[in-house]
Order: sequence, then structure tokens, then C-alpha cells
Amino acid sequence: MVAENPAPAPRAAADDVLEVACQEFVELVTEHLEGALPEPVDRAVRAHLELCDPCVVYLEQVRSTAAALRTLPLPTLPAAARERLLDVFTALHGDPAEGGTGSS
Amino acid sequence: MQQQPGLPAVVAAVREGGSDAQAELLGRLRAGDRQAFAELVDAWSGVLLRVALLYVSTRASAEEVVQDTWLAVIGQLDRFEGRSSLRTWVFRILENQARSRGSREARTVPWSTAFLPDGDGADGGPTVDPARFRGSEDRWPRHWTDAGLPRPWQPPPEEAVVAGEVRRELRTALAELPERQRTVVELRDVLGLTSEEVCERLGISAGNQRILLHRGRARLRARLEDVYRGARGEPDDGG
Repeated sequence: MVAENPAPAPRAAADDVLEVACQEFVELVTEHLEGALPEPVDRAVRAHLELCDPCVVYLEQVRSTAAALRTLPLPTLPAAARERLLDVFTALHGDPAEGGTGSS
Repeated sequence: MQQQPGLPAVVAAVREGGSDAQAELLGRLRAGDRQAFAELVDAWSGVLLRVALLYVSTRASAEEVVQDTWLAVIGQLDRFEGRSSLRTWVFRILENQARSRGSREARTVPWSTAFLPDGDGADGGPTVDPARFRGSEDRWPRHWTDAGLPRPWQPPPEEAVVAGEVRRELRTALAELPERQRTVVELRDVLGLTSEEVCERLGISAGNQRILLHRGRARLRARLEDVYRGARGEPDDGG
């Protein structure tokens, strides 16, 4: 497999614009997502992403990983404990649906 | 503005103290709206359990802490003055319950006291194998090599169509992370706490939190990448 254009050529280093290479991008990705990078660095990251498809893929994978984590089931209280809590709640605060406090 | 149908309880419960939405929710709870209470219990118990586990050592203890928290909420509901959001109040109760229980168990916030800027790789090496990047004398130094560049995941792992295998793999990988990385990733990504909430709860700086999140997510991404590569067969050789 030969990628047509696997990586962007770095800009001429002559203009002292900050440049980010792929290997640096992968270590800045979280701060970029968190909005925690200083603006000049974040600008360089965005410029890199405009030119570098593989790093866009990498960024998407990090986002996807976080999104997939969000789909994992959370721990829950045992059903019996939950029911008991609801019953204590009703015993103390009444049940409007029944028009009065139930027996405790 | 009485009997406004009202926001879902979990939405109203994060509104600031003194807001109309909060007043409406408190009114419902104090009048014994079981469904509103159940909504909060169902929505928050998972997060509360996880946070309790920062202080106590066993799942059973954490369950007791969470139950005690809800009992305290029920008991103090009439006295809650609503200066903070309901959610903030409930979490404060949880932390008090968990802290006192944790000190009885002699496990007093091991997290923040044990935090050192190394060990779990808060410093540490690269999160992506350096072999996947070109050398410094290459025409494109430190850019992906042909073999090393990441390939899109289809379909992405967060989509419902993705088989349980991916999710199982993710859970396993999560469980294997170093404790501090795992804690931050769980609180941020699994439970959806904000970075401010995580820093406050763990007593760490925003910078340390980001480092732990970064390293934890990077490992999980790498694990998922292995899964996708395996599913598709190794990328064809550069022919």
C-alpha cells in the first residue's frame, strides 16, 4: 500500500511560524480537545490538521474512544436497595398520587 | 408560575440555587413526587458509586455510602435551603458520608495524597510508538510513515451497530489502566464529569488531570486500533 501523500511537507522553516509535526500532534491532541493550548500552539495544531489527513483520523479516533467510553454501562444500585429508598422517600414525603401518606 | 409542567428532574437538579426550575423541582420532591425522586436516583447513583469508590475500598461499602447519601437527602430535603444546585448538594452529602466512612476504613483519600508526578506515567514517554513516525533526517521528519499512519475505524466504536466485542475490549483495557489514569478517564469519559469537577474531587491540578486523561485515552485508543486492525486483517504490505 502506498499512500499518495502520506504526510504534508513541512513549511519552509524560514518564516518563524510555529510548526507541528505528526509526532508532536499526537501528544498535543488532548490539550487541543480540552481547549487548553496557548493560542499560537493551537493555531499551529489547526494548521497542521488542515494539511494532514492521517492526523485528522487520529483526532477522530481519540474522540471516538471518548464517545465509546460514554456508552459503557454504569454501576447501579441493587434493585432491592433502590426500591427501599423509594419507599422511604414515599413514607417520609407522602405520595400525592394516593392522596395521602401510605402506611409506613 | 405554578404547575408549569416542568423540566425533567435531572435537568432541573443542575440549575443554580434559587432558580425557578430548582424551586419547582424541590416543590415536587417535598410533595412526594416519587417519580422525580426515582429519576434522580437512577441518573446519579452510578456516578455516586464511582465517586464513593475514591474513598472506600469495596463495592459493598460504596453501595452503603450511596444509600446513606440518598437517605440523608430524603431526611434533609425539607431543610435544604437551595443555595446551591441540588446536584451539588447531593454530591457534598456523598463526599461527607464517604469521607467519614473512608477514614473509619483507614483509607483516607489515598488518591490525592499518593499522587506523584511519575509512576503512572504522568511524565513519561510517547503515547504512540515512535516507530510509526519518520526519522529526523527524513524528508518529512516526525510525520507518519506509510505503514504507521492511522486508518479510519468503520463503523466507529461509539455506534450502536458495533458489536459488543469492541465494548468488552474497551472495558478490559480500561480496567487495566494505571489507577490514576483509570480514575480520571472514568470520571471524565465514562461518567461525564467536567474537568473542574474532576480536579476538585481528586485534588489535582488541571494540568495533571489533562496528562492523566491524555495518557489513559491514548492507551485505550491504541487498544481499539488493535481491535479494528485485527478485525480487518493486518494492513496489506507496502507493495
